[in-house]
Amino acid sequence: MATDKELSEFLENVERRAFKQAVYAVRKDEAALDIVQDAMIKLAEKYGDKPAAELPLLFQRILQNTIHDYFRREKVRGAWLTLFSAIGGDGDEHEGFDVLESLEAELGSPAAESSADKVERAQVLAVIEQEIQKLPARQREAFLMRYWQDMDVAETAAAMGCTQGSVKTHCSRATHSLALALRARGITL
Amino acid sequence: MNTRELNFAYKVRHALNESTENLPAATVDRLAAARKAALSRKKKTWPLRVAATPRILAGHAGNFVGSHLSWLARMGLAVPLVVVAVGLAGIYHNEQQRRIRETAEIDAAVLSDELPLSAYLDHGFSTYLAKRVE
Repeated sequence: MATDKELSEFLENVERRAFKQAVYAVRKDEAALDIVQDAMIKLAEKYGDKPAAELPLLFQRILQNTIHDYFRREKVRGAWLTLFSAIGGDGDEHEGFDVLESLEAELGSPAAESSADKVERAQVLAVIEQEIQKLPARQREAFLMRYWQDMDVAETAAAMGCTQGSVKTHCSRATHSLALALRARGITL
Repeated sequence: MNTRELNFAYKVRHALNESTENLPAATVDRLAAARKAALSRKKKTWPLRVAATPRILAGHAGNFVGSHLSWLARMGLAVPLVVVAVGLAGIYHNEQQRRIRETAEIDAAVLSDELPLSAYLDHGFSTYLAKRVE
């Protein structure tokens, strides 16, 4: 059973990556923060008594489900907004994702202002993040879980609810797509 | 996945790790608050106990009664069931014996030619007697 300290350390270790993962999926920082908070609370409330070794897989599964729930809610909300758009106008006008937004944010950070190299580095990071956001959802999930969350193929398959073969295919396609997209934007890793 | 792809994936991973280090302070604070909220709602584990109210009395009697009441509670269910089963078996046995005794009495009366009144209620026997008189 995970102690309070183990759970705390696990959450601290995973929270930033989880936030970024959610941002890549939903493309809104506020919504991503809510999703991470919900996932953390669900993990603590329902699986706080599980062994520490099981927490990463459980958390990933909860996080993915919470992201999917968010999209379901958005879909319902979108349907209502479409229905009433003729009366009230488009309320989502300013909530759309601007691909330059994250780039500008990176440029505006103190680290980016310190030197030209750092600015360039920040731009590269922003482009990588943008291209990861553009990946199909399943490919992105598989890629991030495998190579960012250090989960093996079996764990990723369990978290995604698919076969290990599918995970390998998603990862391979994600890597190819990402490499091509970055090369097209003049970035070679 | 070949080595080249793997290297690429790990370079992306490195870039992503770098990006997490530059999160705005407000976001980091919000994540810390979320973590604390989650920890405060951590599932507690309690030892498995039967939902029985502990009965506590003062002094030595309390210990004795407390330790034996669970046993008594279990016996409180078993004993009435045993009593009902034994009672039903006794009633069945007694009924059987009574019927055997009645049959035996009639048989004895017939053999000693002392017919009981109930024997005349038998219609077949009345017919037999009428034929005999004729």
